[in-house]
Amino acid sequence: MIRSLFEPRKIGEMAPATKLLLYFILFAWSLFVIFPIYWLLITSFKTPAAVNEGPFFLPWVDFKPSLHAWKDLFVYDLSDTMRAYFNSIVIALTATALSVFVGSLAAYSLSRIEFAPNLITILYFVVLLIGASVAIGVYKTDLWLTLAVVVALFFLLARAVGRLYTARLKNGDILFWIISQRILAPIVVVVPIYMMFQSVKLLDTHIALIITYAVVNLPIVVWLMFDFFNSIPRDLEESAQLDGATMIMTFREIVLPLSRTGLSATTLLVMIFSWNEYLFALFISTSKAQTLPILVAAMNAGERGILWWTMSVAIIIMIIPVVVMAVFLQKYISKGLLVGAVKG
Amino acid sequence: MVIETNNTRAVAKGISVHEFNKFYGAFHALKNMSLEVSPGEFLVLLGPSGCGKSTALRMIAGLESITSGTLMIGDQDVTDVLPKYRDIAMVFQSYALYPHKTVAENIGFPLKVAKTPKAEMEIAVKAAAEQVELGSLLDRLPGQLSGGQRQRVALARAIIRRPSVFLMDEPLSNLDAKLRGNMRAELKHMQASLGITTIYVTHDQIEAMTLAHRVAIMKDGELQQLGTPKEVYANPANLFVAGFMGSPPMNFVEGSITNGLFTAEGISLPAQQLPEMQNVTLGFRPEDCTVVEKGQGQIDAQVFTLEMTGDQSLVTFRSGDKSMVVKMPKDFEISPDSYAAIQFDSAQACFFDTSSGQRLYAQNV
Ligand SMILES: Nc1ncnc2c1ncn2[C@@H]1O[C@H](COP(=O)(O)OP(=O)(O)O)[C@@H](O)[C@H]1O
Ligand SMILES: [Mg+2]
Repeated sequence: MIRSLFEPRKIGEMAPATKLLLYFILFAWSLFVIFPIYWLLITSFKTPAAVNEGPFFLPWVDFKPSLHAWKDLFVYDLSDTMRAYFNSIVIALTATALSVFVGSLAAYSLSRIEFAPNLITILYFVVLLIGASVAIGVYKTDLWLTLAVVVALFFLLARAVGRLYTARLKNGDILFWIISQRILAPIVVVVPIYMMFQSVKLLDTHIALIITYAVVNLPIVVWLMFDFFNSIPRDLEESAQLDGATMIMTFREIVLPLSRTGLSATTLLVMIFSWNEYLFALFISTSKAQTLPILVAAMNAGERGILWWTMSVAIIIMIIPVVVMAVFLQKYISKGLLVGAVKG
Repeated sequence: MVIETNNTRAVAKGISVHEFNKFYGAFHALKNMSLEVSPGEFLVLLGPSGCGKSTALRMIAGLESITSGTLMIGDQDVTDVLPKYRDIAMVFQSYALYPHKTVAENIGFPLKVAKTPKAEMEIAVKAAAEQVELGSLLDRLPGQLSGGQRQRVALARAIIRRPSVFLMDEPLSNLDAKLRGNMRAELKHMQASLGITTIYVTHDQIEAMTLAHRVAIMKDGELQQLGTPKEVYANPANLFVAGFMGSPPMNFVEGSITNGLFTAEGISLPAQQLPEMQNVTLGFRPEDCTVVEKGQGQIDAQVFTLEMTGDQSLVTFRSGDKSMVVKMPKDFEISPDSYAAIQFDSAQACFFDTSSGQRLYAQNV
C-alpha cells in the first residue's frame, strides 16, 4: 500500500508521491514568484494611508483602490516620468544594438578566422599606451604630438620588437581576455569612467551611457555568440561558397538565419542588463539623462520618506517593456534550428 | 548557363594535380602528391582515416590553401583561384544541407546564387529531384528526412549546376549497408550518364573497387599506388596496398630468401628468380589458395575457426601469432583445431621487402 505510493503506475509516469511533491514545489515556487508582482500591482493602487495602515491584501475588500499614485506620476510629474522612460528606451535600445552588432562581428571572426597576434607586440603596445598616458597626464606634453610619436614608434618598431620573442596568442586567449573584462566588478571602474566622461564633457548625456553599456555588455555578446557561431557547421558556409555565393550572400542566406536564435537570446539578455542597470547610471546621469532605475530609486530618498505607492507604479511601467520584448523574441528562441544539417 | 533537363553530357574537364604539399603548422599532411584525372573519369581516393584524403579534396575545391604545388582544371591553372570560380560541385562528408531551407531551396541554391530566372530554376530543381527520386519531398526541411534522403538532396544540389568537376567526400559513409549498396550503383550510373569528371573519397575499399575507373591509394599523406581496381588488386605495389585491398585481406608470412627459395617456419617454396634477402614477406590472397590434407600443401597449420558468410566459407588458420585466411566454397566443412594445409599456386604469390614494404619483382620474367 505504502510502496505503491512511491512506484510509478506505468512506465514513463511519475510515482504518485513524486507527483504530489513536484506539484507542491511548483505551486510554492509560483506563489513565491508571482506574489511580489501582485503586491506591486495592488500597492500601486493604494493610498499612502492604505499602505501605512496595512498590510492589506485584497482590493475592494481590504482597501479601496485609488489612482492616487498613478496620478502623481502621470499628471503632476508627467514630464519627469516620460523623460526617464524615453531616456531608458533610447539608451537601452541603442546600447543593445551597438553591442550586439559589434560583438557578433567579433564573435564571428573569432570563430572563423585563426588569429595569431604576437604577444610581445601587444605588450609593446600596452607599454607605449601607458607611456603616453603618463607623459600627457603627468608631464603635460602636447596631446596630439604625443599620440603621433607613439603611433610612429609603434609602427616603426612593432616588427623588430615582435621578432624578439615569437610566442603568439590563440583565439582562445583573445576570447578569454575579452570575457575577463567582465570579471572586473563595475564598482572598480566607475570612478575612472566618471572622470573620463567628465574630462570630455559628456557627463549626463545619452552618449555616455550608451557607450558605457555597449562596452560593458560586449564581452557577454562575444562570449555567447562565439559559442553560437561555432555550433554552425563550417561546411554550410563552404558549400555555399562552392556554389558560387559571395561572402555577403553566404552571411545573409546561411549564417544570419541560422543565428537568429542566438541573436534573439543575446539581444534580450543585453537589453535587460542595460534596462536595469543602476550603478553606472547613478554616476554618469545626474538629471537630463536619468534612466528609470534612478527614478525608482529616487522615490526612496525624498524628505517624505519612502513613496511605496509611486515606486510601485514606476516599477510596473518599467517591467512592461521587458515582458513585451521577451514575448516578442521568445518565438525566435527555440531550439533545433540546426537539425538536418548533417547526416542522421 | 543552359540547364538541360535530360542527361546531356557536360563539357568534362581533366584535373591535373602536380606535387601537392600541405602543411598544418609543422605537420606534413600531404606529401608530394601528383595525379592526372582524365575528362569524364571516376577517380577514387582511397585510404585509412586520417591519411589526408579530405585534405587533398579540399585543396582541389579551394577550401584549403595549397602549401606548394599546382592545380589545373581543364587547361586553366586554378591553384590560387577562389572556390566559386572553379566550377566545382562538392558533396560534403556531412552533406552540409542548409537546415532552414526546404529540399527545393537546397537543391536550387546554386541556381539562385547564379541569379537564374525563377521559372527556369523550378524546372531544373524538379528535374534534379526526379533524377535522385526526391520528387515528392520538395517541401520538406532536411530535418524531416532520413539519412539516405539527405544524401540524395546533397547529390541533387551538386548535379543541378552541371559543374565541370564533382568532388565527393565519403558521401555514403553514414548509410546502412543495403542503402549504401543501392546508392553506390546509382552514383556509378549517374556519373557515367552525366560524364562529369569525379573525384570520390572513401576509406571503404569495396566502394573504391566498385565505383572507380582508377583508384589512388593513400597512406600518411602519400600516394601509394594509382591504377585501375583490377591492377591494384592483382598487382599491389607494396605491403600497405596489398593489405588494404581485399576483404579479407591478403595473407602475409614473414621469412627470407636464400638460393631462390623462400623459407619461413615450416614453409619452403620457390621464389621466382628473386635475389637473396633477409627479411621478405610472402603474400597470397585468400581466394588464391585452398585447404588440403595435412602435408599436401605448402603451409601446414591448425584450423582456428570456420566462418560461413553465405556465399563462401572462410577458414582461419593460426600458427604462432600469425593467422591466415582461406576462402573455400560455401559447402566446405572442416572441424576447428584439426590440422590441415594451405595450398596455393606460387605463381600468384607476391613477395615484399619487409623493411621497406616495396614489392619484389622477379628479375627476368
Ligand atoms: N585544420 C587542420 N589543422 C591541423 N591538422 C589537420 C587539419 N585538418 C586535417 N588535419 C590533419 O591532417 C590529417 C589528414 O586529415 P584528413 O585529410 O581529414 O584525413 P582523411 O583522410 O580522414 O580525410 C589528419 O592527421 C588530420 O589530423
Ligand atoms: Mg575525411
